[in-house]
Amino acid sequence: MRKFTRYFKLVGVLAKYSLMSALEYRINFITGMTVEMGWMIIKLLYVAIIYKAGTSIGILTPDHILLFVGTYVLMTGIYMLYFGNFCSIPGMVQQGELDLYLVKPVSLQFLVTMRRIEFAFLLPNLVAGVSMIVTGWRLAGLPVGLVPIAGFLFYLACGCLLTYSLFLLPYILGFWIISVGGISDISAALWDFNNMPSMIYGKRFRQIGTYILPVFVITNFPGLFLMGELSPFACIWGAGAPVLFFVLSRAFWKVSMKRYSSASS
Amino acid sequence: MSSYRCVFLMGVEQALEYRVSFFLSMLSAVFPIIIQTTMWNYLYGHSDAAAVFGYQQGEILLYTLLATIVSQLVGTGFEWEMNSDIKMGGLNKYLIRPVGYKGYQFFRFLGQKVPRLMVIGPVMTVIIGAAFWQGLPVSLGRILAFLGSLILGVLLNFSIFYCIGLLAFWLTDVDKLFGTISIVLTVFSGGVFPLDIFGGVVEILVNLAPFGYTTQFPVNIINGRFGWERMGMGFAFQTGWILVFVCLGEAMWRRGVRRYAAVGG
Repeated sequence: MRKFTRYFKLVGVLAKYSLMSALEYRINFITGMTVEMGWMIIKLLYVAIIYKAGTSIGILTPDHILLFVGTYVLMTGIYMLYFGNFCSIPGMVQQGELDLYLVKPVSLQFLVTMRRIEFAFLLPNLVAGVSMIVTGWRLAGLPVGLVPIAGFLFYLACGCLLTYSLFLLPYILGFWIISVGGISDISAALWDFNNMPSMIYGKRFRQIGTYILPVFVITNFPGLFLMGELSPFACIWGAGAPVLFFVLSRAFWKVSMKRYSSASS
Repeated sequence: MSSYRCVFLMGVEQALEYRVSFFLSMLSAVFPIIIQTTMWNYLYGHSDAAAVFGYQQGEILLYTLLATIVSQLVGTGFEWEMNSDIKMGGLNKYLIRPVGYKGYQFFRFLGQKVPRLMVIGPVMTVIIGAAFWQGLPVSLGRILAFLGSLILGVLLNFSIFYCIGLLAFWLTDVDKLFGTISIVLTVFSGGVFPLDIFGGVVEILVNLAPFGYTTQFPVNIINGRFGWERMGMGFAFQTGWILVFVCLGEAMWRRGVRRYAAVGG
């Protein structure tokens, strides 16, 4: 528990440092926000099309879909907070920059993946995501109370851990291969499957996306919990998958670190 | 001309430098196609989407498949290098060489497209063949018009992004701005969805602005939405916009070079 508190405090320190740095270069901060707004236009286009068609997807009305896409937008913002650190892993491995972090008295994985926090990417997604969730929640007439809100937040938190663990895996390949540009494109495309609720896809595809490469768990489970559509097994999987994939990513990181050869003179 | 041939071949080699990454990057383009075709099939299967969006199901599916491919073909990326050349003094070496900087970028850009074309060409042929088989009005004349508009689309997109790259002469930090512009233009070019499905003002703006002539226009030729009269008008707009951006690029280059401070020893 003490270790957890220590790392929690460290995240606070790194976040403070990143925020100070972001405020120093304000134009950078603003242009960073505009990049995310650009991506958001694409996500909103999907919602606009669903509303224009006025069709339900299975049991999901356009209002439910607004809630699901809002969850996706919010989760994107949270993922983007540390996404830049993932991207820089291959470069750090190639140029031997990990040497500097190896000697620090904290977990190397933690330091490398959390050293810079990008608030500029979070802000527009946070505002738009929360607005869409609240609007969708209200329009769909979903229950408001302690249990629904706590459950929704719980599966959001699980989704955050799962995002970190699942999407770190391709970038760890940077220890093995030189150019991870293609892998990065694939993982970004995989993330985009959440542009639409999983119910739109076929049964087999949904099962793969839920139990093998559980991208659908990240943004669909909070909304499905609210609707009372999660089976007891799915409830357990929603909480267990993040832990399982965290252990997996941790093990893969440790194995990959053995391949790292320092580049110092 | 032989120097530009060398630059062209260099572009081909650069594109094939990291082959696994290249093919994974190409593969990642398949994912958005899966998302969108699933969505359109669902909407057309469960509502009167043809009346709402103004596209028949075959037209919209062919659009989804080809827009992603055409976006890959017309897409750029050299603007980041232009920014680096201008900021870091790399432009010096081009100023004293017997090649024009624009010519250098253009032929390298074309060279980098060759491997992509070798993969995309057969795929595109199969898709167009399947569209013909499904009864869409694909004819030899339309295919030739499509190829012509595609070539003009590549020229237009190059000219637009050349101008965007030249902004580096005036702006201090354009890295993230390029990201924003690139995403927004992908949306406005119809690279994600055909924007004329929203009708009204959006459709008028898409028809007048240059961006739709890089992706949406070529694709709407082959899927049979445009008659010959509309095609003729589109070609006139495409050519006109190319001339506008070529002239703008020349003017920006002349003024920009005057501002340029050659850094480095």
